[in-house]
Amino acid sequence: MPAVLSEPVRSHFPTTVNTSTAGRPDFISIQNFSFFYGAKQALFDISLDIPERQVTAFIGPSGCGKSTLLRNLNRMNELIDGISHSGDIIIHDHSIYDPLIEVISLRKRVGMVFQKSNPFPKSIYENVVYPLRVAGQNAKNVLDETVERSLKGAALWDEAKDRLHESALSLSGGQMQRLCIARAIANRPEILLMDEPCSALDPIATVKVEELIQELKSEFTIVIVTHNMQQATRCSDKTAFFYLGKLIEFDVTSKIFSNPAQKQTEDYITGRFG
Amino acid sequence: MMTLFIKSGGVLVITAVLGIFFFILFQIWPLFMPAQVSELKTVSLPNHSFSLLGVDEWGARPFLVEPDGRMLTVDYETGAVSEVPIDFGEPLQIVSAALNKREQMIIVGTADGRFAIVAPGYESEESDGRQVVTIHPSAEKVTPIGLPGVPILDIAYGDSGSSKLVVALQANGNNRQVSAAIFERKRSLMGQGKEEAVGVFDLTSLIPGRASKVLVPGTGDSVIVVTEDGKVSYLLLEDEEFKLIQTFAPFEDIPGAHIQAATFIFGDVSICFASDSGANRVFSLYYPKGGAERFFGKTHDFPSLGTMPSFLISTLRNKAFLLGGGSELSLRYSTTESIRWEGKMPYNVVNAAISGKYHRLVVLDSTNKLHFFKIDDPHADSSLKALFSKIWYEGAPEPKWEWQSTGGSDDFEPKFSLVPLIFGTFKGTFYAMLFALPIALLAALYTSQFLDPRFRSIVKPTMEIMASLPSVVLGFLGAIYIAPIIEKEIPSFILLAVGLPLVAAITGFFWSRLPIRYRKLIHPGWEWIVFVPLLLVSSWIFFQLGSVLEAIAFVVTDPATGQKTADFGAWWTATTGNSFDQRNSVVVGFMMGFAIIPIIFTIADDALSNIPAQLITASMACGASRWQTAVRVVLPTASPGIFSAIMIGLGRAVGETMIVVMATGNTPITEWNIFSGMRTLSANIAVELPEAPHHSTLYRTLFLGALVLFVFTFVFNTFAEILRHRLRERFKTI
Ligand SMILES: Nc1ncnc2c1ncn2[C@@H]1O[C@H](COP(=O)(O)OP(=O)(O)OP(=O)(O)O)[C@@H](O)[C@H]1O
Ligand SMILES: [Mg+2]
Repeated sequence: MPAVLSEPVRSHFPTTVNTSTAGRPDFISIQNFSFFYGAKQALFDISLDIPERQVTAFIGPSGCGKSTLLRNLNRMNELIDGISHSGDIIIHDHSIYDPLIEVISLRKRVGMVFQKSNPFPKSIYENVVYPLRVAGQNAKNVLDETVERSLKGAALWDEAKDRLHESALSLSGGQMQRLCIARAIANRPEILLMDEPCSALDPIATVKVEELIQELKSEFTIVIVTHNMQQATRCSDKTAFFYLGKLIEFDVTSKIFSNPAQKQTEDYITGRFG
Repeated sequence: MMTLFIKSGGVLVITAVLGIFFFILFQIWPLFMPAQVSELKTVSLPNHSFSLLGVDEWGARPFLVEPDGRMLTVDYETGAVSEVPIDFGEPLQIVSAALNKREQMIIVGTADGRFAIVAPGYESEESDGRQVVTIHPSAEKVTPIGLPGVPILDIAYGDSGSSKLVVALQANGNNRQVSAAIFERKRSLMGQGKEEAVGVFDLTSLIPGRASKVLVPGTGDSVIVVTEDGKVSYLLLEDEEFKLIQTFAPFEDIPGAHIQAATFIFGDVSICFASDSGANRVFSLYYPKGGAERFFGKTHDFPSLGTMPSFLISTLRNKAFLLGGGSELSLRYSTTESIRWEGKMPYNVVNAAISGKYHRLVVLDSTNKLHFFKIDDPHADSSLKALFSKIWYEGAPEPKWEWQSTGGSDDFEPKFSLVPLIFGTFKGTFYAMLFALPIALLAALYTSQFLDPRFRSIVKPTMEIMASLPSVVLGFLGAIYIAPIIEKEIPSFILLAVGLPLVAAITGFFWSRLPIRYRKLIHPGWEWIVFVPLLLVSSWIFFQLGSVLEAIAFVVTDPATGQKTADFGAWWTATTGNSFDQRNSVVVGFMMGFAIIPIIFTIADDALSNIPAQLITASMACGASRWQTAVRVVLPTASPGIFSAIMIGLGRAVGETMIVVMATGNTPITEWNIFSGMRTLSANIAVELPEAPHHSTLYRTLFLGALVLFVFTFVFNTFAEILRHRLRERFKTI
């Protein structure tokens, strides 16, 4: 029965009031975080501060736990059975694991873009306003305004404005990915998580998304997982290198790529393994 | 190799289905065929004049009555014409004659105001492998009736078994006199005894007009008099007295129409009339709605013959009659208002007779030639109209859709309307779906989207086992165990039906408003631990409250004693005027629901679980709750699959047989009343096929029912498939 299922938000995750322009260097603070898929440990004692309104890149060889960490930032891993963690993740002074917080309110503040674009089988318009609809916002003017703002924000407006009510599945792969970005920013989250957003895109679409990331940076705190070293250099401010579930090195991007402190990092970025 | 294998398998399946289809088609085809009438033989008769033409049951030896009291007979096999004298004991001049079909007797009227009843005395024997029919007429005593010495213009009689009613028409100066006489056979010690007139009546004063023809039904309890102004009077014999019940004009809307011919249709409840212009109508006796006395009313109207009719005869087998005039012959069927066969002859027809087996026809033409015809019309009572339109059956106050294949009496007319069965099929399906659909779909949504996978892996196989439960068992349980419970506890079930969803919704609402600190105590997917006991307890409470509700809301007052009783069934009948049966649609809906819930559940659950995980993740990442994700993303995306589930459930419900056979009263009614039963097409086949004679109309009609069922499922499935494709196109995921 419907009962169990509707979960209106009772305890909201506290929202930040964005006053300072500089932004906090420890906006997201990951503290001694370990993570297990059942018995298998995927992350080992990670500590990491992600700065506000900057782009932070996660790099590392496949299977090193980048996605796992990213998905923990909005507790998406909880959809999987048998997971557990230790340590804490603190966003703007509040633990995301606070037992009195609805996970939904956290996800409303943390937008996410996936490696494989995943638009709903609905119209372009309905895709973009979905986060607003589930938050109970149905006023037409608000939705219209959001669609225009988000699609413009995701650099898709010009291509999509005449076909807003066509199916999202009629878009090209690159357009779909930008639609997913538009959807992720529609409800004005503070943090935008991107898991290899360009891996399925051609170079031109990639450039568009990268430019987009640069623009979104002024508004959102962005964490991006990428396998593309150039992409990391081009669009991130800070870079974290992971290896076998451990954080090896975390620093300003230019430093990581020009003068890494760790041998493993250097091997990886120069392409000697991975 | 493999593809060849698969291909030939596919071809085999298609051939099998087509084969079944054509087999059914082949079985039902004759139902829609008109009668085949073909001429067999022509025999020339001597140039006499004849007052009557009749034929035996086998159509092998027709006879004609000659004015001098002799009988001319024709042997069909040899074509030999012979004359047989009827022994009246004295020479007679016959001026009128009539047949009593029911008794297979002849009555003749003489020029001197007397009558005699003649038995044709047919005998049939096998000789040299063929059937030889001989005729040995014998006459009863010649008895005077009406005005002595005055020729009898028309005569008729009926025999109720204990008494005979003879009615004669005579000229009385310029007027016409109608006389009736009742004869009873007095039992004597010396065996048979002799007939005595116990009542003699002059009916003339009762008849408004100049009589031109008299008819008496086989039962001998009434008289029909046709007058020259085109009117018909219906006189009833009650307490040894005649009463004029009704006078009507069958062709009152046709100016100047006269009644040229009239005859009782087999069964003697309907009279067929033909006007001088060839117009042709059937009037039947029935109780008008709310009336206490039977009247004749027009029930069937046929196209005009187009020429002046010279005769109108009915059969001894069914409601068919033959109208002839000029060179036209038209074989018609009263009940279905259909023309079975029409023929334009190269001669003028004068008279005709149809064999008792409705397989042979003899026609006398104006040049005294006797033509033998073969009638091949095994399904005279069947037609598209009879099967699907409202039909005005004899004795009914209005046209109706009716299914009644067998009846008690000989002249019972089977009624083969498929409409009540089609209706019953839809009714059963409707109530089953009403019960099963919400439960199955919500259950599938819950198990696939909310239930912890560990329980899901228990629930699903359990439901699958349920799906394999034989429907005979369900039907048996429904009829023997559930039906009596439901009958007694209707108020409880009403409370349950309303209360349980309400309780669930309300608890759900409050549960969702519960602060997270309490809600966290139950792991997501385990909520049923709280809800199941709650629902069980409230079910028990609702069940107990049933009698309270009955005592408050469903009280009937007996108008006679003023006594109040709390009884839902009585209340329902008193309030809505509808019947309340123990084996009703609730029972069927419930039991059939049981049969289709697992099917719909399993398929819907598969569809819902196969939604790409990325869509669910995307929705959750947008901050949607599990419920929002389920309703806004999973449900629409899975809609093609859910639609299939519903359609397969529907298909099962439409074709379901055993449950309906056992758990309903199998009454072929056409009303939506939830507390009455139904008869479905499939149940009808199961119930009636074992009793249906091979290749009879019933047998073929049952096959037609099967075809209709086949067509339904075919249309359903095609429609469903098209819709599913559309949905899939719309909700396809990348
Ligand atoms: N649902 C899961 N159940 C069990 N183990 C998992 C699951 N998802 C990931 N893992 C394991 O956790 C480890 C880290 O996986 P993760 O997806 O975070 O790697 P990644 O760094 O994102 O790799 P890639 O660059 O290939 O995406 C891997 O060893 C993987 O096998
Ligand atoms: Mg990954």
